[in-house]
Amino acid sequence: MMTTLLIQALVTGLILGALYGLIGCSLTIIYGTMRIVNFSHGEFVVAGCFAVLMFFTATGLHPLLSIPLVFVAFFLVGMCLYYLFVPRLNRGDDPEVASFLTFYGVSLMAGAILLYFFQADTRSLNYVFTPSVYKIGHVFIPTAHIVALATGVAIIAALTWFLYRTIYGKALRAAIMNRDAIQIVGVNINTLSALAFGLAIAIAASTGVLLALVFPAFGPFSGMDYTLVGFVVIVLGGLGHPIGAIIGGIVFGIAEQVAIVFLPQSLSQAVGFIILIAAITLRPSGLFGKVALR
Amino acid sequence: MANTTRAAAGEEVILGLEDVSVSYHGDITILDHVNISARKGMVTGIIGPNGAGKSTALKTLYGFLKPSTGHIRYKGESLNGKPPYTFIERGIAFVPQNRSLFGDLSVQDNLLLGCWVFRNDAVRVKRVLDSAYAQFPILGDKRHDPASSLSGGQQRFLELARALALEPEVVLLDEPTAMIAPKLSREIYDFIKALPEKGITVVLVDQNVRQCAAVSDYLYVLELGRNKAEGGKEMFEGDSALHKLIAEWLEYKID
Repeated sequence: MMTTLLIQALVTGLILGALYGLIGCSLTIIYGTMRIVNFSHGEFVVAGCFAVLMFFTATGLHPLLSIPLVFVAFFLVGMCLYYLFVPRLNRGDDPEVASFLTFYGVSLMAGAILLYFFQADTRSLNYVFTPSVYKIGHVFIPTAHIVALATGVAIIAALTWFLYRTIYGKALRAAIMNRDAIQIVGVNINTLSALAFGLAIAIAASTGVLLALVFPAFGPFSGMDYTLVGFVVIVLGGLGHPIGAIIGGIVFGIAEQVAIVFLPQSLSQAVGFIILIAAITLRPSGLFGKVALR
Repeated sequence: MANTTRAAAGEEVILGLEDVSVSYHGDITILDHVNISARKGMVTGIIGPNGAGKSTALKTLYGFLKPSTGHIRYKGESLNGKPPYTFIERGIAFVPQNRSLFGDLSVQDNLLLGCWVFRNDAVRVKRVLDSAYAQFPILGDKRHDPASSLSGGQQRFLELARALALEPEVVLLDEPTAMIAPKLSREIYDFIKALPEKGITVVLVDQNVRQCAAVSDYLYVLELGRNKAEGGKEMFEGDSALHKLIAEWLEYKID
């Protein structure tokens, strides 16, 4: 019985972890490229949940098919947000603190907008896959989880390909490594940052679509939880390391789910943060962080 | 202006600072009405003691700092207010003093990013990579290794190769041999000396006055953010006035 529960926890942890990883990965793209602490990141995840709910109730569109729409829409939202706030922040004396406060404001604002349009009740996406559950051995896995994992992995694969195989992805990683040097090879840092911001917000919202499939309920105020998860995950994976964040997410997801098996519910939530504190203490640069090249 | 005398002698000024002042945070003046002219196909050296504003002059020539007076002029056009990435599009390459490589990216990827401006021209990119590897065989051997795994000297050559990938008209070099072993330094100076033969104009900032003077065709001396003196190579040979002056304020023995 215990083994079954444990396997169940590992599988659920892997699925949630991949999604947490995507949240962290997109957050670290923003932080790495422009040293902006996007405290409103979780609100865009939740906005993705509401977007798929809206598309689904209005048109009956299959939730997975709304991902491309959500991606494009939120890519544009991200670009607009960038041009609205970030170039101004970068002219200040302490852009990191200023960005933290600004985007905390954006977070409150986005929560209020969601509240206005969708009310405070938690909602759920009433889409049921058939069959709704797969039984593998003694382990039950909801189809929605399998679909979310497969889609999440596909997004991770596409993102990895983009970051490691295309010149634009390499430029983005280069900007994370050395923001001054990327300008001396002729990259327009402003355009690159705007694209990175758009990409990150688009990934966050698309992850929201998958989370709407996995988690039965979401509300306008769920955003802060996801923002926190994002920060834990990027500290685990190493700041400014997109793929490290994915691994960090999976570690965090599995730890959280396994803890639920062994510990009382109330304590299990602390486990992720215990791991975070342990990581900061024992390996401050994260699992994949490196000392920067001078 | 004093620095136009040589231009009048038929040497074309390609890039220069005209009466440029630069200050940080609006009040600390680093450059005070400085004039510097880089003449086509020559090595122009900028020397001076610490805090003279040499690196600031170079950063201003690349658009990283905005002049509060005067103009950055390239082929007659004022580049004031233009963002740095447009400088490289015009053919001005910059190798800063601090390491400017992308450590986790491979040697090849660093060079590929050096081809950013013409990234969609696959034929040209390949030609540039091939010529970089021909010129620096060690970079070819290590093309798939991360740039951070190279030695200090190799990293410097990679930075030079990346700057040249653009096939620039002007290269700005800030302390190219700082922290580099003497043998490699000589190689780097030989390399710099050969650039004008390829039609590349060089602006060189260097702490090493003697080496800088040996490599440069024309020298500017900055002191406390102002033009102190300038002159051709001949002014640094023998017991000239400028020679003495520099020896005095740097408390160096030049020979």
